[in-house]
Amino acid sequence: MDSIPVVELHDVSKIYPMPAGDVHALNHVNFSIHVGEFVAIMGPSGSGKSTLMNIIGCLDVPTSGIVKINGMSTSDMKDDELTIHRRDNIGFIFQKYNLISLLTAYENVEYPLILKYGRHDTTTRTADLLRMVGLTDAQMQHTPYELSGGQQQRVSIARALANDPTFLLCDEPTGNLDSKMSTQIMELLKDLHSKGRTIVMVTHNPATAEYADRIVIIRDGVIVNE
Amino acid sequence: MSEERKTLWQRLYSPIVLSLAIRNLKLNKFRTILSMIGIVIGVFAICAMGMIGAGFTEEMNSMISDTADTLTISPIGEKVIDGTTTTGFSAKDLRDIESAVKSVTNGYDMIPMYSSSKYVYIGKETTMTTLSGMDSEAINTLVTLTEGTLPRGSTNVIVGETFAEDNDLRIGSRITMLSSTGQEVTCRVVGIMESTGMMNFGFSTDSAVVGSIECYTAIVGDNHGLYDKVIVRAYDPTELTAIDNAIEKKMNGKEDKDSDDTVYILNSYEIMEIFDEIMSMSTIFTTIISGISLLVAAVAITNVMLMSVKERTREVGILRSIGTFRSQILQMFLYEAGMIGLIGSIIGTVLALMAAPLFLYGMIGSIEAMLSVGVLMYVPIGILIGLFVCLISGLYPAWKAANLNPVEAMSTD
Ligand SMILES: Nc1ncnc2c1ncn2[C@@H]1O[C@H](COP(=O)(O)OP(=O)(O)O)[C@@H](O)[C@H]1O
Ligand SMILES: [Mg+2]
Repeated sequence: MDSIPVVELHDVSKIYPMPAGDVHALNHVNFSIHVGEFVAIMGPSGSGKSTLMNIIGCLDVPTSGIVKINGMSTSDMKDDELTIHRRDNIGFIFQKYNLISLLTAYENVEYPLILKYGRHDTTTRTADLLRMVGLTDAQMQHTPYELSGGQQQRVSIARALANDPTFLLCDEPTGNLDSKMSTQIMELLKDLHSKGRTIVMVTHNPATAEYADRIVIIRDGVIVNE
Repeated sequence: MSEERKTLWQRLYSPIVLSLAIRNLKLNKFRTILSMIGIVIGVFAICAMGMIGAGFTEEMNSMISDTADTLTISPIGEKVIDGTTTTGFSAKDLRDIESAVKSVTNGYDMIPMYSSSKYVYIGKETTMTTLSGMDSEAINTLVTLTEGTLPRGSTNVIVGETFAEDNDLRIGSRITMLSSTGQEVTCRVVGIMESTGMMNFGFSTDSAVVGSIECYTAIVGDNHGLYDKVIVRAYDPTELTAIDNAIEKKMNGKEDKDSDDTVYILNSYEIMEIFDEIMSMSTIFTTIISGISLLVAAVAITNVMLMSVKERTREVGILRSIGTFRSQILQMFLYEAGMIGLIGSIIGTVLALMAAPLFLYGMIGSIEAMLSVGVLMYVPIGILIGLFVCLISGLYPAWKAANLNPVEAMSTD
């Protein structure tokens, strides 16, 4: 592939200093993701999958090594620039949904739009997104605690799509869901991929990994198999 | 809109962040109210004490400013005249005093007078008064008449406004006193003197009866022509202390006062200065107390805000991960602290506005001073101080929240 990768990691390490000794969550990782890819990251628990995702998503910085977004090194970017990058170009989907419990489903999805445009959504975008992921108009006014796990994950997908990002980062998106619900969520992601989005997904489940067109296996902070 | 082109206002005011702060305050109503109580009390204390102090000073100043230009000189040294021991100022004493005054300034009035306590019989009532005798020129300099004329002859007197009101006296009313020989002397009221007010350190007209020297002598006798009191009034009150010292030196032979003195000098300017000093000391004292209560409030708010940050760490992590700026997180907590401050200090100020008049009425019997600028100034001062204290208290917790690592914040429960 000769296009500039969406994200490149060069010799990236992440070390957590702990009283019992340093934890090497990532060990000299080289890795890149190109436009339009659907990558699944697999590996045992504690192998560094989430750490890798957080660094790819500019939520965390590596202890050493270089991370480049669209060819630009993140170490040269200010926190505000990285924040704008997360807001406009990345959609996060987490295992624990991570919705704001103070806000309704509708407000959760509207929030990134308000962040970007500084005012409430006067279009039907928020409602359209929620309908697309399968929420009824009544459910949109519910707070996260009034929704099932599957519904919450749908809301979080709608929120991830709010600012129409090109890049979706999913950390075990079906980890808390039963298999029927998992399939529905995966079909949604598959559909989003087919519409041109780049997706990186962490998963434990080989059946879920089937949806990806590239599988990366990580063990003890090292990528062992592509 | 690019981030760089956003105006300062757009950066400072994020409606979504504000609404999150409001929701959080409502969600934790009990905690919000608890933390507000501190600031309410603090602002109430600073406002109420400030208002009472300002109102009191205002009232006092209007009462004493007129009379802070007077020295009242009384004799204390004994004299033996014709075999009797007595006190009073002789003509030579008056000359000495006057020369001492002249050594400092020419801008003065000097009023020698006779004065003594007398029982007065008005109808069936008996009251005590101070009867003073002086010549009409002296009366003219010393007092202002609200009505009537100056007393002439031996049976005309003028009385103070308060004395007249208390005893139901008008022009033409009659009062009776006993002379030293036991005879009843009835005098006619020919004039009413304007009140010199409650805080009077010079000549007080309030319960005074003033007559001509002729009248006084007829009632009290002439005490070998010795005067009982001399009042010196300086046109420039700041010269009063210098005059005071000059008289001390001349009459008592030294500048500091002690028991061998021949005169005792009451300096109204010094009294006013002492009074001012007491007022400013009590202002400092009350400010310190209010300051302490505000400090306690500040600690309470910092504590509540730290709790809030701790509780919402996960939320902050999520907000940061989906593209909320550090500055917006900072704002969210400052809005929260600011709203506690604004509402708390408005309540505190309103309470102070209700309590201060009660105190003022109790202390000086008037709430007129409440409407003065010096008092009302405490309304904006109180609100601004409360707001400021809360924002400062919220600054550290807000800064802490803004600088949380998003990943670590999100993984807390
Ligand atoms: N904030 C942290 N502090 C200390 N150690 C951490 C922290 N986050 C992750 N780790 C450690 O780093 C390693 C990788 O963690 P993680 O990336 O979460 O693994 P995975 O997502 O594959 O289960 C683990 O050993 C974990 O204990
Ligand atoms: Mg993980």
